[in-house]
Amino acid sequence: MSSSGTSAGAAADRAAKADGGRVEVTMPQMGISVSEGTILEWRKQPGEEVAADETICDVTTDKIDVEIPCPAAGVLEEILVGPGETVAVGTPIAVITAAGAASEGRGRTSADPDAGPGEPEETGERRAASGDSKPNGELDRSRFYSPVVQRMAAEHGIDLESVKGTGVGGRVRKRDLEAAIAAREREHAERPLHTESPYRPEPAAVPVGNGAGAAQVGERREPMSPMRKAIAEHMVRSRRTAAHATTIVEVDFSAVARRRAELREAYERRGVPLTYLAFVARATVLALQEFPVLNASVDGDELVYHDSVGLGIAVALDDGLVVPVIRRAERLSLEGLAAEIASLARRARARELEPDDVHDGTFTITNPGQYGAVLATPIINQPQVAILDLEAIVKRPVVADDAIAIRPMAYLPLSWDHRALDGATAARFLSRIKELLEGGELE
Amino acid sequence: MDASDGAVATEPARVRTQGAGKGLEREDRARLLRFMVMMRAAEERGLTLYRQGKVPGSFYDGRGQEAISVGAAYALGPRDRLCILHRDLGAHFVRGVTPDRYLANYLGREGGVTRGRDGNMHFGDRRLGCVGMVSMLPDMAQVAAGMALAYKLRGERRVALTFFGEGSTANGQWHEAMNLAGVHRLPVVFVLENNQFAYSTPNELEFAVDPVERAAGYGFPGVSVDGNDVEAVFEATRQAAERARAGEGPTLIECHTMRMHGHGAHDDMSYVPAGLHERWRKRDPIERYAHRLVADFGFTPQEVERIQAEVREYVERCAERALASPPPDPATATEGVFAERWEPLGDGEAPWSRWQREEAA
Amino acid sequence: MATTTQQAPASAEPQAGAPRELTYLEAISEALREEMLRDESVICIGEDIGAFGGAFKVTDGFQEEFGAERVIDAPLAENAIIGAAVGAAIEGLRPVCEMQFADFISCGFDQLVNVAAKLHYRQGVAVPLVVRLPSGGGFSGGPFHSQNPEAWFLQTPGLKVVAPATPADAKGLLISAIRDPNPVCFLEHKGLYRSVRGEVPAGEHTVPLGKARVAREGRELTVIAYGSSVHLALRAAEELGEDIEVIDLRSLCPLDSEAILASVRKASKVLVAHEATRSCGVGAEVAALISERAFEHLDAPVRRLTAPDVPIPFSPPLERAVLPQLDEMKEACDELLRY
Repeated sequence: MSSSGTSAGAAADRAAKADGGRVEVTMPQMGISVSEGTILEWRKQPGEEVAADETICDVTTDKIDVEIPCPAAGVLEEILVGPGETVAVGTPIAVITAAGAASEGRGRTSADPDAGPGEPEETGERRAASGDSKPNGELDRSRFYSPVVQRMAAEHGIDLESVKGTGVGGRVRKRDLEAAIAAREREHAERPLHTESPYRPEPAAVPVGNGAGAAQVGERREPMSPMRKAIAEHMVRSRRTAAHATTIVEVDFSAVARRRAELREAYERRGVPLTYLAFVARATVLALQEFPVLNASVDGDELVYHDSVGLGIAVALDDGLVVPVIRRAERLSLEGLAAEIASLARRARARELEPDDVHDGTFTITNPGQYGAVLATPIINQPQVAILDLEAIVKRPVVADDAIAIRPMAYLPLSWDHRALDGATAARFLSRIKELLEGGELE
Repeated sequence: MDASDGAVATEPARVRTQGAGKGLEREDRARLLRFMVMMRAAEERGLTLYRQGKVPGSFYDGRGQEAISVGAAYALGPRDRLCILHRDLGAHFVRGVTPDRYLANYLGREGGVTRGRDGNMHFGDRRLGCVGMVSMLPDMAQVAAGMALAYKLRGERRVALTFFGEGSTANGQWHEAMNLAGVHRLPVVFVLENNQFAYSTPNELEFAVDPVERAAGYGFPGVSVDGNDVEAVFEATRQAAERARAGEGPTLIECHTMRMHGHGAHDDMSYVPAGLHERWRKRDPIERYAHRLVADFGFTPQEVERIQAEVREYVERCAERALASPPPDPATATEGVFAERWEPLGDGEAPWSRWQREEAA
Repeated sequence: MATTTQQAPASAEPQAGAPRELTYLEAISEALREEMLRDESVICIGEDIGAFGGAFKVTDGFQEEFGAERVIDAPLAENAIIGAAVGAAIEGLRPVCEMQFADFISCGFDQLVNVAAKLHYRQGVAVPLVVRLPSGGGFSGGPFHSQNPEAWFLQTPGLKVVAPATPADAKGLLISAIRDPNPVCFLEHKGLYRSVRGEVPAGEHTVPLGKARVAREGRELTVIAYGSSVHLALRAAEELGEDIEVIDLRSLCPLDSEAILASVRKASKVLVAHEATRSCGVGAEVAALISERAFEHLDAPVRRLTAPDVPIPFSPPLERAVLPQLDEMKEACDELLRY
């Protein structure tokens, strides 16, 4: 069966309300805790024909972009909610005039026996290879996925709905999938794993020209993207809510470097890239089990201790950042964490995260060290009580055994909420992490 | 025999009776009896096992025809080759197959000649120079002709011998084999067992002319013998083999006999006219030869008695061995479809004293 | 025993090491002759093969060279030819039987499938014989001179079956067949006899049974074929100018399933082509094999291009409508490529 990156298919079913030929498209609920969504872009305009399951608009919620498939075939009559507007789940956003009977909204499954171009021949028919093909154009084969296409898509984690098919009836052929895989690999090759601190200066935006307010001489206005707006709101709220304090520890990464060299080749053979971040994540998870208050939340007058560690890993994107969560991180080994981190980062950049991927975090790690900054004071990711920052690992002269040695050193700043804990706890927590990292035995 | 028997020409022209085999010594004669009794006893034992439900498939015997297979096989040398059919168990014994292996083959056991690959009489021990039959008759006549072709090509003084029934002379392959043998004067001996019935079909429905007459049509002699006289069969085969070795080509030997049991154990022979069976029973080959050994060749009745008792006892021991043989391993069922290499057939035993004399010479 | 191995055939200019081209028929003749020189147990049996040199002149001059005892003019009796060959093979000769037309194997069928094929399984007796079968249509031979009966033999355990498409393979496979200790059906397509020329190594040259050949490399579509269909596929690929792979099976039993599967994994689209009729032919076997073992590598249904289930008709327009033609091959390839 086709793999879909979103639950939009099922959502589309709920989104369709047929009314004697008039079908309403409504804002779907994507993700358990989502209550509203914002229209990003309309793919079709009023008057245009739409096919069942064809993407009709793009919607964003909690920084996840989702394509909405059209619930019925027909003509797009009216758009009710414009780009940039945010409405509650269930709100009608468009109206379709259905063509004939409303379709089931799902299109043909790959198990449909009539869907094959060319039925087996009766004996006596000579042109054995051509068969009884229906003219290609009439049959929509865009969701018929052959065995090799399904297998390769599953292996590479590709959402088949995102691949353009050039085969008969728009079928996704093996070569189309190969092209998609190659394109993504090129994209990834250009962007090594890196994460950014939440407060990184805004990248210079391409001038758009249409500002909401009047342009003054000597300045340029640009509307904030939905993601930007969300981040802005979150950060301010976090600062307002928590009593932020930051404690810093300095860690010698030479033991980690040695350990990484030991394990790296074997991991890579299994397809798992082993980064310094993975070591920090493992040390953090172990330390959290000894200092459970760092894994808690504040709820009014109560501290809520969470049994399980939902480890958020901040991932930088072009226009902001996102923090996907590794659920129940305490059950994963170093290798498991490394694999999860790589997988989440890849999916985040390919915009394949599900809405539920960014929820239920209990502790966040961020890693802006790539860009050379050595110290920072990160902002806590609400409703958590702390955030750990892995800064740049830099070779420095240090004193070891009363002699000067060159060691790869990095600062680990921890911003924490003074409502929930005190400086001593924070310091002991950080020291424990330092101890685990410098011990060189992590696995 | 008269026409009221309902069978065609049970005694056509030129039937040799009371033949005396040339070159047979006393020991040979004892052996001839021994092998015939061995065939009789082994087949009786097999029939009992079949009726006890121990034999999968069908059971066939050549009761009453023992003189043919024993007499014919006895004349052949170690390097000669035989294609043996289902009523010719005696030939297997002469060549060296033991009764336990025969019975185990019927039982489908590992100790059978084909180790369970083929059943009843569809076997031949390649190490003893025997090629086993297929069900389609008379296919083996063609194979025997082919073997003879090899001997002729290589100038070897060897003979290929095959048996077939009178019914199969109606088949095109018999004609083809006879014709090829005649055209190329192949050193092959065709032994035709005319036992009056092909299953239930009597001779008059199989051919319009006695097959022995038809040999002339292929350019070589046809000889008729009393198939219930072991020395007559021996002598006819001996002469035919000599002709073949001398390069004079094939011979058809028609042996007249009667099949005393049904086509198989599942056949009650209800189609046999009354009286015919009893007349042939009186000419039982083993009884006749036992009588002749005493009357003509100086054996005492006790000797003859003892030979038969010893053989029967031997066959009983063989039966026990056969029953103790394990079933074949199912895991081997798909093995051996193709050969890794060709190997020649082995030489069979040739108990006729002549071969020992020749070797000693 | 004669020991000549480097003797070139009378029909070609001998020049050690230099490439030389022979026709498909010349290659078969050369293979037979070189084996008969090398091994005196190799004999030929067939109708009109001796004095007349064979209906297609494959054994032309053989009886003069090897004598009437080794080049036997058989009576009109196919069961006798094969039955005698069985007996001779058991006794150590290496008979090469010729059926004047493959179609006539039906008259020798009993000896082939019931005696030759089963003797080793039943009795451990090896039967090293070869049956040469001039097969195929395209010259108004009518229903009894145009058949491709290989599927009959593939249903008989104990027989090996080969079907070369090129002169080099015809020589190499015939020599290997003669040396194999099992009965081998050698399908030589009559249409290729004189129409196909190719480089043939002089002297000792064997092609192993059970190994296919990549006739043309490609990535987008693979055509799995044997015999006359190999040439059709190669021409179609050339004229279409597409990235089409052509696999020449060469051997039908044993079948080179690994080569088939490797090609399928690469191209993911398959056309199986043979001139033989459709139902239960080699195409059906190959398609089933692919479906069983390479299902997750398929990007399109496995298609077959074959003759329909019809006796081969005599009149040229009817025959052309039945035997697979070049434009049909191109169309079948094109359709799969576009799928």
